[in-house]
Amino acid sequence: MKELIVLTFAVPLLMAFLLPTISRVSFTLSKLIAPLVLLALAIMVVCIWNFHTETFVLHIGNFIGPQGIVFYVDRLALLFAFAIFAMTLLMWPWYFEKDESSDTRTRKLSLTLLLVAASAGMSLSGDIFNLYVFYELLAVASYGLIAAGNKKPAGNSYAAAFRYLMISALGSVFALLGIALIYFQTGTLNLAHLSEMKELLNNPAGLIAFVFILLGFGVKAELFPVNSWVPEAYMASSKRVAGLLAGLVSKLAVLVIIKALVLIYPQDEARQLLLFLGIAGVIVGEFSAMKAQDMTRMLSWSSIAQLGLVFIAFSIPGKAGMLAGLAVALHHLISKPAMFLIAERWGGSLQNLKGRAQSSPIMAALLILFALSMVGIPPLPGFWVKFLLLSGLSAQQAWLAIAVVLIMTVVETNYLYRVISSLYSRDEQQSVTSRHRTADTFSALILAGVLIFVSVQVQTVGQALDEIAQDAVDVKSYIDLSLGGGS
Amino acid sequence: MHQFSSFLFLGGFLFFLSVLTGILPLGDPPMIIGQAIQNHGVSETGAANLVTAVVLGYRGIDTLGELSILFAAATAGGLVLATGKKKTQASADEDAGFIVKTAAELLFPLLVVAGLYIVIHGHLTPGGGFQGGVILAAAFFLPLLAKPSTTMNHNTMSLVEGFSGAAFIGIGLIGLFNHGAFLQPLLSKGVVGELFSAGTLPLLYLAVGLKVGAELAGLLANLNEEDDENV
Repeated sequence: MKELIVLTFAVPLLMAFLLPTISRVSFTLSKLIAPLVLLALAIMVVCIWNFHTETFVLHIGNFIGPQGIVFYVDRLALLFAFAIFAMTLLMWPWYFEKDESSDTRTRKLSLTLLLVAASAGMSLSGDIFNLYVFYELLAVASYGLIAAGNKKPAGNSYAAAFRYLMISALGSVFALLGIALIYFQTGTLNLAHLSEMKELLNNPAGLIAFVFILLGFGVKAELFPVNSWVPEAYMASSKRVAGLLAGLVSKLAVLVIIKALVLIYPQDEARQLLLFLGIAGVIVGEFSAMKAQDMTRMLSWSSIAQLGLVFIAFSIPGKAGMLAGLAVALHHLISKPAMFLIAERWGGSLQNLKGRAQSSPIMAALLILFALSMVGIPPLPGFWVKFLLLSGLSAQQAWLAIAVVLIMTVVETNYLYRVISSLYSRDEQQSVTSRHRTADTFSALILAGVLIFVSVQVQTVGQALDEIAQDAVDVKSYIDLSLGGGS
Repeated sequence: MHQFSSFLFLGGFLFFLSVLTGILPLGDPPMIIGQAIQNHGVSETGAANLVTAVVLGYRGIDTLGELSILFAAATAGGLVLATGKKKTQASADEDAGFIVKTAAELLFPLLVVAGLYIVIHGHLTPGGGFQGGVILAAAFFLPLLAKPSTTMNHNTMSLVEGFSGAAFIGIGLIGLFNHGAFLQPLLSKGVVGELFSAGTLPLLYLAVGLKVGAELAGLLANLNEEDDENV
């Protein structure tokens, strides 16, 4: 049973390869079969979660030892695997533009499936080069999806995709250089094996490798100096793609950085760098979001700021940091895609939003819910998330970081309040209202349901997260399981 | 000014890299995994070409990833290139002259044979699915260059592409269901150095070769067919 977890990336890949052929027979079939497969895989992950409470390791091709590639499947990996399928189903591209040929539509579906396969691989793999390969697949699939976004004004999405490609390609070069540096000094690529030999990397050249990996994987994780592609790309792509990239893809890149940090780089220098870049990201993100004149752009910048919080949280050493980081990341994973869905029909200048709450009261109410949670009003999960983060930071006596988090929360409240108050303000000239699509409202409602469920069951969820975080920082069992013979 | 700062960055980066090479133990890399694979690679996989043992055996899943990256790039390329307007007969370039056309016809079988040879002998000699696949793609693109008005059959291309990719994953899944590990090498390893040796590795390389060939040929044909006025 447990070896079936490999299917989480093999089956979406298989579907992506076969989809062009299937859609030549019938496009409707290919449109329906892919979500069904994703649903089946989500159920399979839940089953594995229930039946295999122990962490286990799979040796791809039965090559045991560090020369083969291992999949390390702990609760964290399973949680992310489930999140990938659930999120992709909620954000599935159901809608196409009228003038698109069925070839173009099939290509979009194929690319989404490739994105799923790459994400699943990234959550499971325990080999740093294998992670890089999946990261590249993720990157190329997302170039395509962004380029397929709205073409109005002409070539808009092409320009955004091209700029994104340039930054991302530079990042990939950096990541590859970092991995090469690591391999050059240790002679291995297996994360557990590297963790055993981490003393070899405790020198300037080893830390440079970490910086390269941080910059490389940081491109998708919206890390501070390499995130200039974010607002433009999210503006140009469809909001479902933007939600998927901001919510899901960024978290997987964060996961890789965290794996490197926990297993290979326990040094203070590495954590301080993460803290510094995280703080810079929060400041830049929140202030830019405040100045933004468009809701999508505002959400993009706010996403950068939230990812900054994630990095600040992960810079706290030990279990406290892992717990706080996971909480911030998962909260963002749930709320940001929903906010992008809400913004789908509310593009353009913020001035145009006046009085929109009358025409779509549900979406306006949902936006209030998510905004309150983002700011951190109890009893919503956002409060507990910020509480974990701040208590972790105060244990480290990182007063500067605490001050930044608190001040930036005020800024965040300011711009979210501005949007909501204009939604509910009275509008003299009734503007043309375009209603939200049913699937968008449905997905946003489900995400809001998850948010409310978490705030009701906060103790249970907190305990589960605590156990996951405990497992995730257990380096010794990672090494023993990955390098031990058999599974 | 912009160019100046670019040069400054480039210079600084080069200096940084040269300092880096100063710290590194160049010429004396630690051979941990490398040595292990050198010692056991041939006996564990049965492939005479150690590179193939790594590419399809030890790191087979990476190769599947690379294959998917190529597929993703071709798909994204197709998405960007699809303007909805195909070249008409009139707007296509003129056919090439007698010499180029005859040479293309003569070269076609030679290229197909060379490509297939390199693919099929991937586990014995340098080369393999990726290299052979590119030669195959060139063979099928050559007639298009000689006569730009002809079109490629995209149905066949996507069929070959889809099913060779599926075959790679299928072989992996057979290993998963029968022996408990994805992409486990199956069949007998045979005698090292013979054509029928190394178990399923040559089959995997054949799938890679066909997929790479079909994909590149399809992408080149797409570039050729779309009306470039509107791109």
